[in-house]
Amino acid sequence: MTNHTITFTLADSKTVTVQARTGSLLSEAARQAGVEIGQPCGGQGRCGRCLVQVTAGPVRRRSTLRLANEDIQQGFALACQTVIEGDAAVFVPPQEKIERRLTTDRVAAEVSVPAGYEYSHAQTVRRVHLTLKSPSMDDQTDDWSRLQTALRTQLGINDTGISLGLMQKISAILREGEWRVTAILATMNPETPETSPTRIVALQPGHVDEYSPLWGIAVDIGTTTVSLWLVDLVSGQARAQVAEYNGQIARGEDVISRIVYAGKDGGADEMRSLVLGTINGLLETACKRVKASPQEVVKAAISGNSTMIHLLLGIPAGNIRLSPFITAVNHPPLLTGIETGLAIATDAIVDCLPGVASYVGADITAGVLSSGLNNAEEVTLFLDVGTNGETVLGNRDWLVTCACSAGPAFEGAGVIHGMRATAGAIEEVWINSETYEPGLRVIGGGKPKGICGSGLISLLAEMLLTGILDKGGNVALTVNSKRVREGDHGPEYVVVWGAETETGQDIVISHVDVDNLMRAKAAIYAGFTMLAQQVDFKLEDVHKILIGGSFGKYINVEKAVQIGLLPDVPWERFEFLGNTSVRGAYYALLDWRERENIRQIASRMTYIELSADNTFYDAFMSAMFLPHTDMDKFPSVSAALNKSS
Amino acid sequence: MPIEIPKDKWPGSIRKVTLGATAAEGGTRAKTVTVGGQATMPYLHFEAPTPNQPVVAIEIKSRKPEDWSPLLAEVWGEAMADPAKWAKAAEAAGADLIVLALTLADTPDDAVKAVKSVLGATGLPVIVWGPGQAEKDNELLVPVAEAAKGEKLVLGLCEDKNYRTIVATAMANGHLIQCRTPMDVNLAKQLNILITDMGLPADRILMDPTTGALGYGIEYGYSVMERLRLAALQGDSMTQMPLIVTPGFEAWKAKESKVGEGVPAAWGNWKERAVHWETLTAAALMESGADILILRHPESVKRIKAAISELVTA
Repeated sequence: MTNHTITFTLADSKTVTVQARTGSLLSEAARQAGVEIGQPCGGQGRCGRCLVQVTAGPVRRRSTLRLANEDIQQGFALACQTVIEGDAAVFVPPQEKIERRLTTDRVAAEVSVPAGYEYSHAQTVRRVHLTLKSPSMDDQTDDWSRLQTALRTQLGINDTGISLGLMQKISAILREGEWRVTAILATMNPETPETSPTRIVALQPGHVDEYSPLWGIAVDIGTTTVSLWLVDLVSGQARAQVAEYNGQIARGEDVISRIVYAGKDGGADEMRSLVLGTINGLLETACKRVKASPQEVVKAAISGNSTMIHLLLGIPAGNIRLSPFITAVNHPPLLTGIETGLAIATDAIVDCLPGVASYVGADITAGVLSSGLNNAEEVTLFLDVGTNGETVLGNRDWLVTCACSAGPAFEGAGVIHGMRATAGAIEEVWINSETYEPGLRVIGGGKPKGICGSGLISLLAEMLLTGILDKGGNVALTVNSKRVREGDHGPEYVVVWGAETETGQDIVISHVDVDNLMRAKAAIYAGFTMLAQQVDFKLEDVHKILIGGSFGKYINVEKAVQIGLLPDVPWERFEFLGNTSVRGAYYALLDWRERENIRQIASRMTYIELSADNTFYDAFMSAMFLPHTDMDKFPSVSAALNKSS
Repeated sequence: MPIEIPKDKWPGSIRKVTLGATAAEGGTRAKTVTVGGQATMPYLHFEAPTPNQPVVAIEIKSRKPEDWSPLLAEVWGEAMADPAKWAKAAEAAGADLIVLALTLADTPDDAVKAVKSVLGATGLPVIVWGPGQAEKDNELLVPVAEAAKGEKLVLGLCEDKNYRTIVATAMANGHLIQCRTPMDVNLAKQLNILITDMGLPADRILMDPTTGALGYGIEYGYSVMERLRLAALQGDSMTQMPLIVTPGFEAWKAKESKVGEGVPAAWGNWKERAVHWETLTAAALMESGADILILRHPESVKRIKAAISELVTA
């Protein structure tokens, strides 16, 4: 056996050199050198966390499954799968650089202001400076007429509306600013701004700096999670992004139980104030971050499923639940802050985006807009992995959609140690297939508090691959590890011992949690497979699969395929978009043309009702297995399972 | 004008499963029983022969059941108090197989004793059921499986939350299993996958899709069986297990069989009605593809066996 010299260069430019034999692994040489390389999967080439860059020397890769071609050309290799065949130089990249290189991992794109955003052309609200003539004994025109005259003569606006609330304040504001006033105007018809009726949204004394922020909010009311972005309408930038569980959760996890609750005496008022409480709380948090006041928010674009919009507006939602499933309104008119109860400017424009049907709401039309599906040339599948698993299939010529109740499990609710994707959430888990010890990644890097959706997906997949779960989702108590035990809710796996958690309590996943997650993934899988079947389209022919959902920033598509949440197609076809609903609302908030696109999307979508016969139930039961009862549909997972057993 | 009957050719077929082992095969049975092997839908002889005809098992219990219909008590008489005698009587009544159902009152020793006495009294292959509570099933079936090693018993009932121990002991001791799922094609297939994943060969599994009695959901049971059979013939290897069903248990739960008083006069003679109920339930299931029919009343056994021989010779 020949010895070779292996030189490791670390991120801080330090180098370490060791001797290694022909045929030994880079990971072994690293261990010998005291160079820390993560191998949470136990060195099986499953996780890709031991990625290194071979800058010189002959090596042989046993597996390149997780690497893109250009990465291989640049020398990237998995240390646990790389055999030493001569002297070599190896660069060990820092952990956080690794995930973006792996073909299995998807990170949601950052939010950026749409290219070419110009406030003056795109916005329906604008800030104008007016200078009025002071009244005198010669000019006894009333204050309101004086303001209207200024609008007509200085801006050519002939038709202006104002609320009683603002009318009550006009006199004081005009005098306080000594007849110089800043008005926030909303155009009712942005296509023809010159002749459009205009409404005064706010008045401020004096001339406020033209370029100072003009605040708007984009809101997605999810059944489980509410997201709010505070946006400067002048620059177009989202200046704060916040999210919280919907306060209505305590009154039912799904839309049906919410509707039932709202139908009870006083229920509708309670539901309305619960969700307003959540939104207004988020508004306050977001405003504090940028030192603004909620009262300064002059425009809101609101997205959400049809039930959520009904409950927010206090519109009876009972008929959504009953055949033939009719909403009171799919496309509410423009409303104001005070009407809706949002703690924003009294006369702020509140725009609830249009939905399609009882179970395909504005969250999906906004989602389609932000995913770009409506402009796609090739047939594309858009999945919103939320409490209502909505799916859209189509391209720029046609769009079909369906919905199925998946439950809140992937948003971390309905799972004992589940949580939203915020600091302290475990977002990735790898389990060593020999010791059953887990390797974790925690958002923010601190002590773990719980597990978020992407963490649950990878946990479930790892438990399946290491044999802790059988394909039926049963925890195998026969596994030789003290982490697998009989718990309060049946058999469970301990992900983190109490000594290492934020709360001091063990973080576990129980049999009941697994069951909830399986139901959620089965409903979503059944939904999109049925939808594809209805239009006679094969899933393997779908050009791209766009995934939306409140997973935080990250999802591992390989793991999502392994549990049968996503179809077994090549990884490069998946794209993760994050919360597409709030993003769509953001685009609509900024640009009236995007708002118009959403309206068109809503009118173009064909809704397919899955509950019309029992084939959905059949597809659901078939998907209630890991990954699926029909293993032929999951060849890559079959191969991975055979390899690991 | 001659009419040509269209014939289907299926890519798949049902697995052959043999119950029981003779002395030469390591057991003590006088004969074995083989089911399965079909390559077409039931009784379509013009498409493919039926290599093994359906068989009838009679259900007996380790202790005299107090909740069975008086009509059954009347026909089995004293034998019900002694599983060995009951097994003999069942064999005399025409059973091809004996199902011995253990009870909650049995200790592991009682269970082993009952199984041994039945094996001693009859040369037929034997199916042994636990009392139907997961922990108790495991407690009784494991010693039974060990005591009867090599006999190729069928152990039941395996369900999705409770299959590991039974499958493990069946593997270790050379037995078969009966796996039951609640009337759903997917669930039946899933349990077969879980069990074969543990390493039990697929030709040691009998599939019990659960059924209802006549008037109590038999249509649903029938269609699930039919769909399982279609999937099997289409080549789905995880549905190619022979079907075992319990029309006796189901029919004797029905008010129409169980009760003789307080029912409309138009219902007619109780005893006739009860036997009809069991026979019709069994006949429908047989036509949907059942390979093993478990019955309770000797008269039903006689009628079903007659029906089988008519169907297979037709």
